[in-house]
Amino acid sequence: MKNALHRMNPSVKFLAITICMFTMAFFFDPWTPLVFWVGVLVLQFFFSEIDWKKWLLFMLPFFVTAFGYFWTTLVFAEDGSGSVVWSIWNLQITETQLNHALSLSFRVLAFSSLSLLFALTTNPVTFILSLMQQLKLSPKIAYGVMVGYQFLPVLKDEFILIGQAHRLRGASEEKNTLQRLLGVRRILIPMLAGAVRKAERAAFAMEARGFTGERRSSYFRVISIGKVDAALVILFLFVLVLSCTHIWWLG
Amino acid sequence: MLKSWKLKEIVLMSLFAVVFGIVYLLFLHVGNIWAGFIGPIAYEWIFGIWFIVSIICMYIIRKPGAAVVSETIAAAIEVLLGNAVGPRLILSGVIQGLGAEAVFAATRYKRFDLWVLMLAGVGSSIFSFVYGYFLGGFSVYGTGYVALMLGIRILSGAMIAGMGGKAVADGLLATGSLRGYAISRSKKGEARA
Repeated sequence: MKNALHRMNPSVKFLAITICMFTMAFFFDPWTPLVFWVGVLVLQFFFSEIDWKKWLLFMLPFFVTAFGYFWTTLVFAEDGSGSVVWSIWNLQITETQLNHALSLSFRVLAFSSLSLLFALTTNPVTFILSLMQQLKLSPKIAYGVMVGYQFLPVLKDEFILIGQAHRLRGASEEKNTLQRLLGVRRILIPMLAGAVRKAERAAFAMEARGFTGERRSSYFRVISIGKVDAALVILFLFVLVLSCTHIWWLG
Repeated sequence: MLKSWKLKEIVLMSLFAVVFGIVYLLFLHVGNIWAGFIGPIAYEWIFGIWFIVSIICMYIIRKPGAAVVSETIAAAIEVLLGNAVGPRLILSGVIQGLGAEAVFAATRYKRFDLWVLMLAGVGSSIFSFVYGYFLGGFSVYGTGYVALMLGIRILSGAMIAGMGGKAVADGLLATGSLRGYAISRSKKGEARA
């Protein structure tokens, strides 16, 4: 029971989360995203075994972002109707503006927790296999993506290697962040050239072993949809409906 | 659509997606930190970087679908890397890719000069802005502020994605590793290496 979210079918989870997000986009009051956010946290608390310290670390930047949304909405919001609740200098903040600002910040928090719920409970390879088996993704693309994913550590090493080579030959050291971002360009081209060669080699190897990209009738690793998925989808929808209808039960 | 695709082209897109997935994440962190200080407009300056992979792949491969498929793969790889923006990135990837794809389709996949690439960046900007407007709740902001955001994003799409993408792809072409792709065939009058 505790690992239900981990066992959930990734495609079903993906669809459930997408539906929740699109529904949330229609609400501009502070309570709907707040209730939804709490609901997502409760779901994650009871049905997943994640490292909450890691969760907090990932969430931290989003708290900052939510704050950014909060104050810019206060300053730049269009609808200035309602009674004034707060005034700083010559800036008048009305109830509507405050509600919109709170709503957008809670929306950021709700969306990022929902995304983290997915990221922390889903195995990437299972996700791709499930996209291929349940959502009919083309095997050519599915296995192509997995090849790219397997090359990630190699490319990471190469990134460090090229950086070291640059330093060894006395290419100028970047000091501030902006210069470092622009300096990515110099590392990018050798990395991409390497990537082109790796891609060709991998593709030839796959074809040499008989990979045609045709859809199979059976798979070595079968990803199925079961009772857990139905139960969790109902729970997700329950949280969604609960947050959308809060007007009736919160008063 | 995928019938005419070679496997090596798909794997190439996937590997580019990994390289740019790392770059995208780097910029996302920078954007997130800035957004804390100056709100959602922080992302607009650097938004063009997120369209770059679709433009580079289309410029190199030159087949219908290269823009939208590569951008979607890049988004999927970003999700696989385990970042916190999560599955909704895949959807925004599809939408950004469609924006660039629409421009290339309008030229019937015949022209790949700087202007078309910059227009493709603008196409991605507009498509992604409409999507962001809806999902980010931009409708609460004043019209002037939204117009400013859109203006900066269009500029960023044209400059970073269009011009930057062409610069990267041309630099790559000069290394000689792109023999056997459509980009080097067009330069040598259909002669294949």
